[in-house]
Amino acid sequence: MNKLWSSFKSWLIAMGSPPLFYRWASAFLPWLGVLAIITFMLGLFWGLGFAPTDYKQGDVYRIIFIHVPSAILGQSIYLMMAVFGFISMVWRAKIAGMLLIAAAPIGAGFTLIALVTGSIWGKPTWGTWWVWDARLTSTLILFFLYMTIIALHSSIENKTKADRTISILAVLGITIVPIIKKSVDWWQTLHQPSTFSLTSAPSMTPDMYQPLLLCVLGFYLIFIFMLTNGLRAEIISRERHKNWVKKQFLNKEIG
Amino acid sequence: MKQSNSFNWFLLVLQRDLIMAFRKSATYLTPLIFFLVVITFFPLALGPQQSLLSALAPGVIWISALLASLLAVEGIFSEDQRDGTLDQYFLSNEPAFLLVFAKVLCHWLVCGAPILLASIFGSMILYLPDGVLIPLLFSLFMGTFFMSLLGALGAALSLGKSAILSAVIVLPFSIPTLLMGTAIMASAINGQDYSGYLSIMGAMLAIGIPGLCILTVEAILLSYE
Repeated sequence: MNKLWSSFKSWLIAMGSPPLFYRWASAFLPWLGVLAIITFMLGLFWGLGFAPTDYKQGDVYRIIFIHVPSAILGQSIYLMMAVFGFISMVWRAKIAGMLLIAAAPIGAGFTLIALVTGSIWGKPTWGTWWVWDARLTSTLILFFLYMTIIALHSSIENKTKADRTISILAVLGITIVPIIKKSVDWWQTLHQPSTFSLTSAPSMTPDMYQPLLLCVLGFYLIFIFMLTNGLRAEIISRERHKNWVKKQFLNKEIG
Repeated sequence: MKQSNSFNWFLLVLQRDLIMAFRKSATYLTPLIFFLVVITFFPLALGPQQSLLSALAPGVIWISALLASLLAVEGIFSEDQRDGTLDQYFLSNEPAFLLVFAKVLCHWLVCGAPILLASIFGSMILYLPDGVLIPLLFSLFMGTFFMSLLGALGAALSLGKSAILSAVIVLPFSIPTLLMGTAIMASAINGQDYSGYLSIMGAMLAIGIPGLCILTVEAILLSYE
């Protein structure tokens, strides 16, 4: 058991070295991309074309196949960033810091998609683009957190230092997100009666649930694809003066 | 023995910073003026109806206080960094944690405490409902202290960068404090028991003091790499 753990640890450390990660990622990326597109398309076609129409909302509800996966992604990417932020703060792993900044714009994008599709969904069903509901508010704040992280990173010249700096914000952010969620709940119940309950999801038929699950999976795969791709670009741009990068690309061009 | 030495050192740092702050009247006057002017803006913009202003008063005072206490945040470390004092602090054997806490405390005394006093005046001109001045002061006391802590982190993270950046990066993180503060005020105005919210806010502050000071030390150390 101990031996297994130590070999796993040495594998992890080896994966953390940029050249090795780059080669491994380049080999695995095309397959991942194809898989992601297929899963996502399958889920989307199933959901948009074949899932039954909702008896109350009609076809409007079908935006759920975009809205819910991107909202889930927006939150879980932030959680992932906090984990990598902690790793980058404590063990100063280079790759963890790069992952952090590669993930931030993607997470911000998904959160924005969730907000926009949510308000498009809200207009016909609730009659308004926006309500100050606990979920909506905390998603909006999550979007602000992503934006501050991106802004702070871009303000620091030294990229390695910038990674470690935003890791502090990411770690602080994860302690604050549950507090925000909880306090928004209190605040909202104090100030206004909740007109719409988003928290209790309507029980769905499997016909709707299965394509939704497929869409979530597809979104996750797309995220991993985008993240790995972004990380590759980050690695190349930071290590462009290193020998292995020159070797890799020169060999390719000649050969 | 060592402990008492560190405590003396903490007091010396605090004393030095306070003297420096009170020699330049801009340090303590700017947030105060900002606070009062912003509070004056609201009746000017919304009209002088007493019922409207009195409903908005707690929120207006809270927002103005939060923004005003972020105003002078940039100077917490940047002055000391420019003349090399910060390097000497970190080279000395004394705990950096105490240094950060002294800086935060000084910032609160110079910036937060005057705002706290001015909020009494603000509550009068905005017709704050009777009997809620005490919860307002309690919640604002903790709120402005929390802002000083957050502001120190922001200043440390953006050391040597633009002044506005340090304030902006901590703004989203101040939302829980704002929500707690308005929750306290809302239940006080409704005549409910607000001590629960007050305790939660105190707990947030109790976790925030060591937690944010440690993160701030980490952020300052980063700037030396």
